[in-house]
Amino acid sequence: MVALLFILFAGLAVGCAISLVAQRNPLYSAISLIGVFISLACLYVTLAAPFIAAVQVIVYAGAIMVLVVFVIMLLNVEEEERKPLRLRFLVPIGIGLAAVLFAETAFIIFFVQAAPGTPVRNVSDVGLTSSIGSGLFTTYLLPFEVTSILLLMAVVGAMTLARRGGLLPATAGVVPGDQVFSKELLDRSQTGDLSAVATHSTDEAARLLGVVERHGSSDDE
Amino acid sequence: MEDLKHIVFLMIGILIAFTVVMTMVAYTVLAERRILGFIQGRLGPNRVGPGGALQPFADLLKFILKEDIVPDKSTRFVFFLAPVIATTAALMTIVVYPFGPEIHLPFVNKSVQLVIARFDVALLYVLSITSVGVYGLALAGWSSNNKYSLMGGLRSSAQMISYELALGLGLIGVILQSGTLDLYSIVEQQAGYLGISGWNLFWVQPLGFFIYMIAAIAETNRVPFDLPEAETELVAGFHTEYSAMKFALFFLAEYVNMFTVSMLATTLFLGGWNGPFVHQLPWLGVFYFLGKVVMFLFFYIWLRGTLPRFRFDQLMDFGWKFLVPTAIINIVLTATVQWSGAFDYVGKFLKTQTGWGG
Repeated sequence: MVALLFILFAGLAVGCAISLVAQRNPLYSAISLIGVFISLACLYVTLAAPFIAAVQVIVYAGAIMVLVVFVIMLLNVEEEERKPLRLRFLVPIGIGLAAVLFAETAFIIFFVQAAPGTPVRNVSDVGLTSSIGSGLFTTYLLPFEVTSILLLMAVVGAMTLARRGGLLPATAGVVPGDQVFSKELLDRSQTGDLSAVATHSTDEAARLLGVVERHGSSDDE
Repeated sequence: MEDLKHIVFLMIGILIAFTVVMTMVAYTVLAERRILGFIQGRLGPNRVGPGGALQPFADLLKFILKEDIVPDKSTRFVFFLAPVIATTAALMTIVVYPFGPEIHLPFVNKSVQLVIARFDVALLYVLSITSVGVYGLALAGWSSNNKYSLMGGLRSSAQMISYELALGLGLIGVILQSGTLDLYSIVEQQAGYLGISGWNLFWVQPLGFFIYMIAAIAETNRVPFDLPEAETELVAGFHTEYSAMKFALFFLAEYVNMFTVSMLATTLFLGGWNGPFVHQLPWLGVFYFLGKVVMFLFFYIWLRGTLPRFRFDQLMDFGWKFLVPTAIINIVLTATVQWSGAFDYVGKFLKTQTGWGG
C-alpha cells in the first residue's frame, strides 16, 4: 500500500521536475514546481511526518510560489525562444555527474540498506507536532532562536531596500484619484531621481517637486 | 483485506459527507437568492417547484446544457486547469471536519466517530489546502487573456495572501488554548455545561473569533470583500471569460468555501457538535453542527444584502494595519492568560462551586 503510494508520488515528483526544466513558458514551469512541492508533501505523509508535509504545502506551495506566479503574471513574461545551446562542453560533465549520482543511489540501495541500520526509536512519534515542538524548544532552542534572528534580519533588509532613496515620502499618502508623479517622470534631465509626490495634476506635481517646466518640443518627442 | 475494508468504509463516509455538503450548498444558493429578495423587497426565484425548491436542479441543468466558450487567445491548458484547482481545493477540506460525536451504527454493530480522517495536523491541513486554492483564481485570471480577468486574478491573490496571515494568526489563540491541532479533540474539549458553556467563543477567544470571521469572509471573496469580482469595475473579475460548466465550478468552489469556512468556525469557536443532551442522543450532534453552520451561512447572506464593498486600499490597510496587529495582541493575551493559569483556576472554581466548566 505504502509502496504503491510511494511509486505514485515519486513518479509525479520526477515528472513535474522534468517538466519544470523542459517547459519554455515560465508560468508552466512555476506550476510544475508547485506539483513537485505537493508530491513531496505527499511523500512526507507516507514517511509519517504529517507536520512537515503540511508546512511544506503552506510555506512553499501556498506562499512562496504564489508570489512567483504573481510576479510572472504581473510582468507578463513571454515564452522563451529556443536558442542554440551555449556551453556545450558542459553536457558530458553533466552526464558524468548524473552517472555518479545514480551510482551513489545504487550503492545505498544494494550495500547500505542491506547492512543492519541503526535502530530508530519510535519512528511514528518523530513527525508529530508535539515532538517537533518540544524538540525545537528544548534540545534545539539555540539554532531555533538564531534562525528567527536571521529571518528578522531578512525582513528588515527587505524594508530597507524597498524604502531606499525615498521612493515615496512618508507624508505622501496615495489617495485614489490622485497619481504618483516622480521627478524623473516630469524632468528628463533628472533621470534616476525617484523622489515623488502624489497629487491630481502634472502642474501641481511640478510645483511641489520644484521642477522648472520647459514649454516647447521636449514633451512632444 | 483489512486495508480494503477500511478503504471501502472511508469511501462510503466521503460519499455521505460529499452528498450532504453538496445538497446544502445547492440550497444555500437558493436561500441566498430568496433572502436577498426579501431584503431588497422582492420575491426571488419561486416558480420551479413549491416555493422554488427545485431551482438548484434547474440551474444545474442550465449550466450543463449551455455552450462552453473558450476565448481564442487564452492559454488553453491553464484555462481548463484553473476551475479544477479551485473546486478540488474547496472540496478537499471536507474530510477533516468532525460532523458528530461517536455514534453506534445499528446494522454493522460498530461504533464510529463521525469524522472521515482524524489526524494530528488536521488544522494545518485545512490551512494548507486553503492556501493552494488561490491558484485557481490567479491562474483563471491570467489564462483568460483579458485585462479585467487579470486584474481580478491579481487582486484575489493579493487579498488572499494578506488575509491568510490574519486568518492563521487568529486561530493560534484556539490552538494555544487547546494544545492540539486535531479538530476532534478541540471539539471534545469544548463540552462544558449543557454543551454550551465550554465554547471557545465565550472564554478568552472572542477576539480570535472576530478576527477569524472577518479574515474568512475575505478569504472566500464575499461581500464586503468581493473586490476580485467587483462588477462595477471588473465586469466579473477572474471569471469574466468563463461560461457553462467551468463557470459553475467556480460558483461551486465559492459556496463550498463558504461552507467549509463556516464548518471551521463552528468547530473551533462554537463547540462543533456540542449542545444540550448530545451525550444522551449522539445523533443530535450532527444537527447541532449543521445548524450552527447554517447560522453562519445566513450571516454571510445577511452581510451580502446589507453591506457595500470596500475600496482596495481600504482592504489592504484594514488587513495589514488592523487585523494582523490585533491577531498578534490576541496571541500574546492568550499566552499570558494560559501561562498564568487563570483558566485552570476559574475552571476548577466553576466545577467545584456550580458544576460548570469543561
